[in-house]
Amino acid sequence: MPKRTHESPLKSTDRPYLALGLEGSANKLGAGIIRHEVDGSSTVLSNVRHTYITPPGEGFLPRDTAVHHRQWALKVIEDAVTISSVSMHDLDCICYTKGPGMGAPLQSVALVARTLSLLFNKPLVGVNHCVGHIEMGREITGAQNPVVLYVSGGNTQIIAYSRQCYRIFGETLDIAVGNCLDRFARVINLSNDPSPGFNIEQAAKKGKRLVPLPYSTKGMDVSLSGILTATEALTYDKRYRPNDSPRNGDDEDCFTSADLCFSLQETVFAMLVEITERAMAHIGSKEVLLVGGVGSNVRLQEMMGTMAEERGGKVFATDERFCIDNGIMIAQAGLLSYRMGFQTPIKMSTCTQRYRTDEVHVAWRA
Amino acid sequence: MSIGTSTTTQVQWHNISVRIPFANPNHASIAKQVIEVDRELQPHAVKRELALDGDVLVATFSTLTVRLARLTLNSFLENVDLVVRTIGQFADDAEQRSTSYSHMST
Repeated sequence: MPKRTHESPLKSTDRPYLALGLEGSANKLGAGIIRHEVDGSSTVLSNVRHTYITPPGEGFLPRDTAVHHRQWALKVIEDAVTISSVSMHDLDCICYTKGPGMGAPLQSVALVARTLSLLFNKPLVGVNHCVGHIEMGREITGAQNPVVLYVSGGNTQIIAYSRQCYRIFGETLDIAVGNCLDRFARVINLSNDPSPGFNIEQAAKKGKRLVPLPYSTKGMDVSLSGILTATEALTYDKRYRPNDSPRNGDDEDCFTSADLCFSLQETVFAMLVEITERAMAHIGSKEVLLVGGVGSNVRLQEMMGTMAEERGGKVFATDERFCIDNGIMIAQAGLLSYRMGFQTPIKMSTCTQRYRTDEVHVAWRA
Repeated sequence: MSIGTSTTTQVQWHNISVRIPFANPNHASIAKQVIEVDRELQPHAVKRELALDGDVLVATFSTLTVRLARLTLNSFLENVDLVVRTIGQFADDAEQRSTSYSHMST
């Protein structure tokens, strides 16, 4: 692949830049402060998060999630400011998630962002949530031009950068991979603390038997809802042992909930690896960047690593602090576009539930 | 708060007017600008007008149904609550520095 010779459009600065990022598009409420240094590096000054955790068997609903965000917003922001030990007056801009996400939670955080912007007379920057994930992943891992696999509770996209746009190569045709895992966690009554996906991952480690499940990649896209239904149906199978009871000699043809977690993970992750590999072949990149909540799944990282290794490439992933929704990624992406001269006037600072990754003009990349 | 019903030729609009006092005109203006941004979800059935009267934010709603009147007012008051709490927590900090700046510049 020819080396990129274009210079970065991002001007070097004569002073550090500071941004506050506010995120609340799903059940995580985050606030973070980032500093862009004169030498081009970034420093995370604070990254505070509070998660709305529902009882086992229940998902989070927009209304209740918004109530949670409204309750915690001020505390989380206050903590982020205190930890960073900068003053709100020193900020260059306040960044908030414009979308995509759930309407009511997004709007709650936007109200706070607007109020702060007017109180402190700081410009607002509306940020696309997916671009936030990508930019934070690039910043932390240093990946140059990776194929990005963005996998979370609300999104499943395979993305490649070209001409100032993050282009969507493939995506889910129905539900997101995180949604698939979370909902199965609800079916088998796993805890939502710290997150259903994490508990599925732990249960899968105890799984021994690979139960056949549908495998549905469709070109560059994947379909996941049928797999969820199939897995759910297996919990009504007479061979299913819900309480992971130890198998004795005459109980051979059976499977436990751990086996199902294991099988579900192996199947859907294999599909993701397949479309990622195809995207790598398309654009000739040897780097994969995993972002989004499911990107913190170690098994997915392992499987992707094996594939990348066989292609002579490498996987870049971050840990839960930056993978799972957070405020700092909004600050990072927002500050990049702010430095390119982008601002969101207060009258335009709405939220939108649908906001595709490829709608954003990535002005800060060559 | 005043609630009234007016009859037009075909539909009945339900009118609500709310007056919310703030500590100063600036805070009332901030609340107005912040809340005004988001459109009502059913613009054909809910009309909203926000105005300033000194340090008072005056909100007037006209809705097609009583149910919508209740829902609209509820969500409006929730928004006001969030904005007021945000102002309450950060206004001191915001105003402290901005006055000290104006001292420096003069």
